[in-house]
Amino acid sequence: MKLGTIDQYSSLSSPFHRWDPRCKMIGFMALIFAFSFVRDLRVLLAVVVVTVTIYVISKLPASFIVSRLRYPSLFLVVLVLILPFVSGQTIVMSIGPLDVRQEGLKGVLLIATRFLAILTAGSVLFGTAPFLTTIKAMRALGLPGILADMVLLAFRYLHEIGSDLHRMQTSMKLRGVRHSRFSLRGLRIPAWMSGSMLVRSYERSEWVYKAMIMRGYGHAPHYRDDFHVRASDIAILVVFLLAAAGFVVGDIICGRVSVPL
Amino acid sequence: MHIPDGILPLPVTAGGYAVAAAVTWYSVRRINRRENPRENVPKAALLTAAFFVASLIHIPVPPASVHLVLNGLLGAMLGYFAFPAIIIGLFFQAVMFQHGGLTTLGINAVVMGFPAIVAYYIFRLRKLGGRASRVKVAVLGFLSGSVAVAISVAIFIAVLLTNLPSQLDIGVETAAIYALAIAHLPLIAIEGVITSLLVLFIQRVRPVILDGV
Repeated sequence: MKLGTIDQYSSLSSPFHRWDPRCKMIGFMALIFAFSFVRDLRVLLAVVVVTVTIYVISKLPASFIVSRLRYPSLFLVVLVLILPFVSGQTIVMSIGPLDVRQEGLKGVLLIATRFLAILTAGSVLFGTAPFLTTIKAMRALGLPGILADMVLLAFRYLHEIGSDLHRMQTSMKLRGVRHSRFSLRGLRIPAWMSGSMLVRSYERSEWVYKAMIMRGYGHAPHYRDDFHVRASDIAILVVFLLAAAGFVVGDIICGRVSVPL
Repeated sequence: MHIPDGILPLPVTAGGYAVAAAVTWYSVRRINRRENPRENVPKAALLTAAFFVASLIHIPVPPASVHLVLNGLLGAMLGYFAFPAIIIGLFFQAVMFQHGGLTTLGINAVVMGFPAIVAYYIFRLRKLGGRASRVKVAVLGFLSGSVAVAISVAIFIAVLLTNLPSQLDIGVETAAIYALAIAHLPLIAIEGVITSLLVLFIQRVRPVILDGV
């Protein structure tokens, strides 16, 4: 089971790789939310330009983003295929019995572009630093300690529990268990498999907790970070915040000039 | 049932984050009231990871397949840890598999997490009237699983259809609501059956897990 390859290019060198993770988190999240605010097609064009520029600067290979686009949400694909035919009143063309509507087409363009821009920006945010460093940055930005501990432990054991599931599935196949056809009796197989995994994880958590107590968990101050903010980090953050504000203000101004979707 | 980035307007995604932050704050506050709040963190974290992996299991439902949601069981077993656990699971899914999204993390947490809390209170009813019999556990397990998914589907459809960027006519919107609801009916039933089987399995193998963390 292949999990957690988002940070496979975190050892490259680019301005985003060197950027302080806390500033990077604030800057990118501001930009991502500004992307989601855009409704005007002219501002959307600027979103595309900024997104492509960010990706080029990040030095992440094209194959990385292509691999992440390989499994985009099926739900989004369905929406993109249906919306132009059912949304709006202005018919621009007909394909057989189906009418393609202008409002639906604009809606699709808006949704798809915003989705791709946010996905790309998110990939740069999480792809240019080790995942654990990103979690530490979130902790430094105020993520509650209990949540940060849960994220780190869950991430640490995801692969092992994933391997457990893979082993169980392989063992079941070797013993001739097949559940390619649906049956109510057959539901016991995934139920008991999930149950075994939950029981194993629960038992493992008891050993983990004991090991953590032995190392002082819950007594000594358990959190510190080694982040240092430089002037260049602040400068890049200001550029990102100004860009985010620019998208929001630009969209509001453009919305007054023409009717938004 | 995860809403991706790019569909919802900023006020809705920001509102989702606000509600999710408030519920998380309340959950963490309740956890911190315990004598040793960190004692159950490893259990909750590893069960979160296990739920995340279990949700990758596909059940064949011709002509397609469905994957387990398990938010009802997660709520029943994790209690006040359930909402933070769901946020963490959704965060991993958004970052690793591009399911869901970063801007929609809050609203997706509401879609999946609020029903988990409802399931927690449904499953607690097994303690009413003395010993929790197998029948009681099975029935309440079924209700926890199916009611949680049914509520999630209802919130999901409501959020989605009221926030599409262009207007649907009333006929199309009604048809879409019925289609989405009917499409999820098998999942609601399967989730109930699986949750029921799962709690019976856990009650037989390691009943202490059902007492929550």
